[in-house]
This record gives sequence, C-alpha cells and structure tokens, in this order.
Amino acid sequence: MHANTEQPLPRQEQPILRVRDLHAQYRTSPFGVGRGVKAVDGVSFAVRRGEVYGLAGESSSGKTTLIKSIAGAIRPPLEIVGGSVEFAFLPGYGGLQRAPRADVARIRWRNLSYIMQGSMSVLNPVRRVGSAFVDFAYPHIGGSRKQFERQVIAHLERVRLDASVLAAFPHELSGGMRQRATLALATICRPDFIIADEPTTALDVVVQKEVLGMMRGIQRETGSSVLFVTHDMGVHAHVTDRLAIMYAGRLVEEAATARIFRKPLHPYTRHLISSLPRIGDDAPREGLGGSPPNLADPPSGCRFHPRCPLATEICRREVPAMLEADDGHRVACFAVDQGGRA
Amino acid sequence: MSGTPGAAMSGYLAYVGRRLGQFLLVVFIGINIAYVVTHASPIDPVEQSISAVTSYGNTAPAAIEQMRNSLRELYGLGGTPVEQYLQFWKRILRADFGPSMSAFPTPVGTLIARALPWTVGLLAVSTIVAWGLGNLLGGLAGYYRQSQGLKLMGVVAMGLHPIPYYILAMLLLIVFGFLWPVLPISGGSAMNLPQTLTPEFVLSVLQHAILPALSLILIGVGSWFLGMRSLVSHVVAEDFVVYAELAGVRPRRILTSYVMRNALVPQVTGLAMSLGGIFNGAVITEKVFGYPGLGSLLVDAVYAGDYGLVLGVTTISILGVSIGVLAIDLLYPLLDPRVKIS
Repeated sequence: MHANTEQPLPRQEQPILRVRDLHAQYRTSPFGVGRGVKAVDGVSFAVRRGEVYGLAGESSSGKTTLIKSIAGAIRPPLEIVGGSVEFAFLPGYGGLQRAPRADVARIRWRNLSYIMQGSMSVLNPVRRVGSAFVDFAYPHIGGSRKQFERQVIAHLERVRLDASVLAAFPHELSGGMRQRATLALATICRPDFIIADEPTTALDVVVQKEVLGMMRGIQRETGSSVLFVTHDMGVHAHVTDRLAIMYAGRLVEEAATARIFRKPLHPYTRHLISSLPRIGDDAPREGLGGSPPNLADPPSGCRFHPRCPLATEICRREVPAMLEADDGHRVACFAVDQGGRA
Repeated sequence: MSGTPGAAMSGYLAYVGRRLGQFLLVVFIGINIAYVVTHASPIDPVEQSISAVTSYGNTAPAAIEQMRNSLRELYGLGGTPVEQYLQFWKRILRADFGPSMSAFPTPVGTLIARALPWTVGLLAVSTIVAWGLGNLLGGLAGYYRQSQGLKLMGVVAMGLHPIPYYILAMLLLIVFGFLWPVLPISGGSAMNLPQTLTPEFVLSVLQHAILPALSLILIGVGSWFLGMRSLVSHVVAEDFVVYAELAGVRPRRILTSYVMRNALVPQVTGLAMSLGGIFNGAVITEKVFGYPGLGSLLVDAVYAGDYGLVLGVTTISILGVSIGVLAIDLLYPLLDPRVKIS
C-alpha cells in the first residue's frame, strides 16, 4: 500500500527531527458510521541542524495536521495511527504524545518552540505581554527575576522592540509589534527547533519582509532549526533552505529551495512555480483543473492523478514512492525518470 | 496608542465623573416612577386608617374629618399634587419616609432598618457562596472535561436548574421540616430569644438561615455552574490557551491565569447585578420561609396600601441595583483592559 515507507532517507548528518512514515487521521463516527479523514498519509522527512526547512502546499493539504502531529498537539478527533516523530533532544519515544509528561514539559520551549498561525490571538488578552515571557520562559531560564528581565529586554532589542512592550496589553500593540513580540517569545530560550506555522500570513508585505528578515537573523545567531510552513511560495523562496511540497496528505517533492524553483520535477510543483508572477512576464497563468481531493475518500494510486496532465494507467493503480531523483532531490512521481527529467 | 499613565488616570477620572452623573439620573428617574406608581394605587391609606379606627365604635363626623386632615398632613398627602411632590422630595433627601401607615406610628426608616440586616445577611452570604462555588466547579468542569465526578455535577446542575424555585423551597421544607424535622421551618430566629448577640441567639439565627440559604445556594450554584462551564469550554479552544499548552506552561497556571481569568469577566458582571438585587429582598424565599426581611416587608406594605413603606423599600432597592451597576462600570476597565474608556 505505502510503497515509500521502507525507502531510506537521503544521507544527512545528525537530523534534529526525523519523521518516519507518519499517518494521522481525523476519526469521527457521525450517526455511528466510522469515518476517517487521512490528513497525513505516510509522510517521511528529516530536518538537519541549523536549517530552515520549508513545507508548502495548498489549504487542506494536511500541513497543519502534520505540524500538530509533530508538536504533540493531538486532541480528538485527531489520532496518530502509524509512524514516528523523533526529535534529537527527546530520543527513544517516537513522538511527544508517547513520551512521559515530565520530559515533554521540560523540552517544551526550552528545546521546541512555536510561532503559531494567527499570532494576533496567541497572547492572553487580559494580561500584560511581560507575563507571557515569565510564564513561558522563566521556568527554563531561572535566575533572579531582575536578571531574567534584563535578558528579555536585551532579546527584545533584536526584534527592535522597546522594553515598554512588556508592560503593554496585547491589544495596545500593532499587528507587526505583536508578531515581533511573539517572535522574541519563541526565541528567548534559544530553542533547538522552532515550528513556524504561517507566521507572517496575516501581515502586510512590508511588515512581512521585516519580520522574516529578523527571524532569519535570530535563527542564524542561535543556530536553531526551523520547520517553516506556509502556502506562500514567495516566502519560501525568501526564507527556506530546503523545501518540501505537500499534496493531499503526502509529500510529493523535496529538495534544496533554490533547486526546486530552478528545476521542479513533480507536475504539481511545476504548476505551483509556474503560477508565480514574474516582473515583465505578462503571459496569462493557467489554472490547474479540478480541486484538491476529499481526504475522506482520496483517489487511488497517486492522489494527484485526476488533475495531472501526465497521468497514465499506473498512476491510477499504484502509489508512487518518494525516490531520490538527483543529489538530495526526492520526488514521488512515475512520470519522472531516475535521471531527473519528466 | 497607549497614552502616558497620567493621561490614562485623568481619562479614568473623567469616566468616573460621567458614570456618577448617570447613576444620579437613573436613581432620580427610578424614584419618580416609584412615586407615580404608588400614588396611582387604588387603595387610599387615609380611608383605610380611618375605617380601622371607626370600626371600633361611633365617632363624631367632625372628629373623623379632623382625623382625616391630620392624617393627610402626616402622610404628606395634603395640598395640591405639586406641593405633595415637592414635599416628597424634601423628605427623601432627608432620608425620611415618614411614619408607616400600616404599623403606625413606627417610622418607615425604623421598619426598614429592622428588616435590612436579615435580608442582607441571608442573601449576601448565599449569593457569594453560590457564585464562588458555582464558578469554581463550573470552571473545573469546563477544563477537565474527562472527569467523571464533574460530569455528574453537570447532570445534577442540569436537573436542578429547571425546577421552579418555590417547588424546591417547598420540598426542602417538607423534607427537613416535617419528614425529618431537624430544622426550624419559619422565622429568622427563635421567638423566645431576645435579639442580642448572645451565643444562643446567633446559633438560632444560623439554624433558621440554613433552609432558606440552602434553597438559594442550590439554585444559584446550578446556574453559575452551567454558565461558567460553557464560558470555559469556549475559552479553552482560544489560540492563547492552546499556545500556552504548547509552551509547556503548568496546567494549574493555564487554568487560573489563562482560562478562568478570561471566563470570569462576564461572571463578575453577573455577581454585581445579583448583589445589587439583594435589596429587593428575595420575596418568594422570605414568604416561603417566613423570614423577617425586606421582601416580606414589601409584600405586606403593598397589601396594606402603605405608600411610605413601599416607597422606602423601593428606594433602597433602586439605590442597591444602581450602585451594583455603577460598581461594575467602575471595575470593568480594571478587569478587562480591552474595555476602552471613552
């Protein structure tokens, strides 16, 4: 069924995160009839130390479910039904939800932090911004409160925020300031791994560029690894080192970001990239026919085949394995030969 | 945006001034309505008093006429309607409601002062206990949704909630007063005890308060519990709660500072309203349990056509509710920093 499960991952030195054949479902039983939405279906990848790993895909491709599974934010009806998630700083459990609570509490924020989608609403509206720093980071950093406060203020300077934001309530800050405060909050412990879920989607482009630049700067300084998720290919081109493309709950392609943009292999990736506007090119963009599949009842074989211009008989029958087409360039498509050409 | 502390302070003072003005206006209008309504009553207290006196034997018509005039004078019913109205406000401002017509010649003020401690003691204690208990249990039930004990509480609250209050009160009376007669069924304290602060008297007051307080608390806890549980179940799904959980903030901290703190804001409004409403007296409670409070006093005054007493009790309750509302308005900006003072 899952032909890609046993495929060895590309050679990497010391991955900080290794996801193996992860399967996650939303299980509900309306009117007593069991129903499973396979939002993540056999995903494998690894993130190296110090890199920004991008994850792209359209809405309802399973990006958010994948992140929730990795972060251990699993609540019914979401269920992990197979595979493992292994962080280098929490080895041996195969997933946060399987590790002892005390261990998970210790690594949260110390080693693993988040910048969430909708960062506007992630701060407690009735408490001052400074209290979030105390609640989130003080247990990990310790020392005297004075010393901690000095450290927070110094860190805020990196995102060009004044110490006065600590005494402000979230609603008193602008969207950009709040986002920068959240960025400072997520990086104050110098975590090994940061999960960034659509961190700049709600911001206007000018602020977006500013925040992304700061994020990249702090990441280089602290050496953190980042799993950066957004549907915005422009942002990926700007920020990520390597990029994986997700379609209907599966990865379809993974390579260095520059390489994907220069030489996309999968028909879906090629379509994503050719749809990006370029200055001076006013040729009309072609839309992709059809719509993303219903994950409660996905198409057989390759899930992209109903929309794929290159689909053949085998695509309908079998699931293409994620194979290395070229140096570090993996793709799951029967139409791509091993030489790296479609 | 966020102004200087000095500007914020003077803004708050201006806000307090405006609210105080509104408060006085509301009280003025309320007392006027009470005046009009009592004077529109078909019962003429003067004629009632006269018929009470004359029923004991023959009285000369001239003496009756003289009595009628002096009673009118005493009750503030002499002169033209305008003169009566001005006379009324003169008395109100001196907190003088005149003599009671039904308990002549005891002043209305004395009757109210006698009833007030009973009502306030019973209702303040049971309102606060019900609010505290209901919100605590409701908050826990909303947060720990898997707990069997709290689920059971929810079922009990749901079951108690729709029972009409007087049925529940009667049931308590029947069970603890007749079937298992362990508690007194009527009055505020034992008849034969002098009302001084002796241990016997205090014990007797407590014994007599158990049933009425229990009936109020049972109903009150149920409704606060259900309200708080549904508020909390909405707050736990908010981004800032999920984010704090992912950050590994201690569950107890999340429950208090993140979940309860946000859910309590509307509940505090409810508490202030209920406390303001105390001065209406709990008419049904006091009637069912024969409690010597404001509620009983009001009902008796209405039956006797005792203008002065009705107006006195009404004025006290108008003041009570208005002060309650004023207190919320003044406290709200402190509870929820998002409330704009403008």
